[in-house]
Amino acid sequence: MKNMIYNDMEFSIDKASRGWDIRRKLAGGEYAFVGAALFEELPDDEAEKQFQLLVQTIYPVGIKIIGPDVTHPNRVGDLRIVGPDVAHPNFVYWKKDSSSFKK
Amino acid sequence: MEIKDSVVLITGGGNGIGEAVAKFFAKRGAKIAIVDMVQDNIDRVVKEIREMGGEVIGIQANVTSEADTARFIKATLEAFGKLNIAVASAGIIRDSMMLSLDKETGKVSRKMGLDKWQPVIDINLTGTFLTLRDAAEAMVNGDWEGLLVPISSVNKVGQVGQINYSSTKVAAALLPKIIIGEFLIRGIRKIRCVGIAPGYTATTLLTGMNQDMLKALLHDVHIGRLVEPDEIASLIGHCVENGAINATTLEITGGLCYPNGIAK
Repeated sequence: MKNMIYNDMEFSIDKASRGWDIRRKLAGGEYAFVGAALFEELPDDEAEKQFQLLVQTIYPVGIKIIGPDVTHPNRVGDLRIVGPDVAHPNFVYWKKDSSSFKK
Repeated sequence: MEIKDSVVLITGGGNGIGEAVAKFFAKRGAKIAIVDMVQDNIDRVVKEIREMGGEVIGIQANVTSEADTARFIKATLEAFGKLNIAVASAGIIRDSMMLSLDKETGKVSRKMGLDKWQPVIDINLTGTFLTLRDAAEAMVNGDWEGLLVPISSVNKVGQVGQINYSSTKVAAALLPKIIIGEFLIRGIRKIRCVGIAPGYTATTLLTGMNQDMLKALLHDVHIGRLVEPDEIASLIGHCVENGAINATTLEITGGLCYPNGIAK
């Protein structure tokens, strides 16, 4: 098993009976699968590189797993709820790792 | 096209029809990319497909966002190296009449707001467009055989109380005609497009509703029951394997009729 901390989230890659399983550590300490049985045909070192690329694509820094609530009715009483406009041309998916991650 | 070893991307894959489609294809040896807004649903379906022995990834994304769409296509290609089938099943409802009248005065007391209109248009129509557009882009650039699947609904007569939802589903039913017409002009021959138009389907939305209301709905369905999500998945599977089905939208309603017996 190999671990990677990225964007303040902990991921692991494990060799399974077929390919590799990628898991993400949840707040309660349990793990959820990001992907299963991947990169079966790749050598181990290339599979690890591909695992890092895939995790960075699925969980871009700044987005994590929480998106704007597009199903929200926008108003709660007199309050208007405005989420981040991820479609705006000025919205940038930050590619750097987060500053809170100890290098 | 063979299902086995094909790569299938399913938006709204975390529950309902999308989940059934994901599991149907996983059982038959396809590689699955699940896209959904709800991470808990993604985690559950990815785990269940893994337990079935399937190859799978899950991506939390908003289908109305171009950036998110580009991201889930990229993740699919990074995980599996190609993309063959895109099923755009992410969708929502926000039911309301366009106008409501005051019972005493007969004047308009309330209008359907953009808060009920716009999210449905954005997710059901714009989201479907973005998913199919970027999936087709990947298929063309990768020179892979492909199938684009917009999910429509009852699309010839619409539904009272669903002017927003019905408008998007009529549009979704038309997409295969336009897309394939454009592909013909552009010389894109390896990608087909087939819409699927389910009727009343046994998702939690309907199975959990008031049982008397459900019984009233089923009165107008010839087979006398809801369509099962697995039956819809099976139809999509048939469309994958039968290369002559193209540029059309197939209905799977169990025989939805008007109360006087005329099929809708």
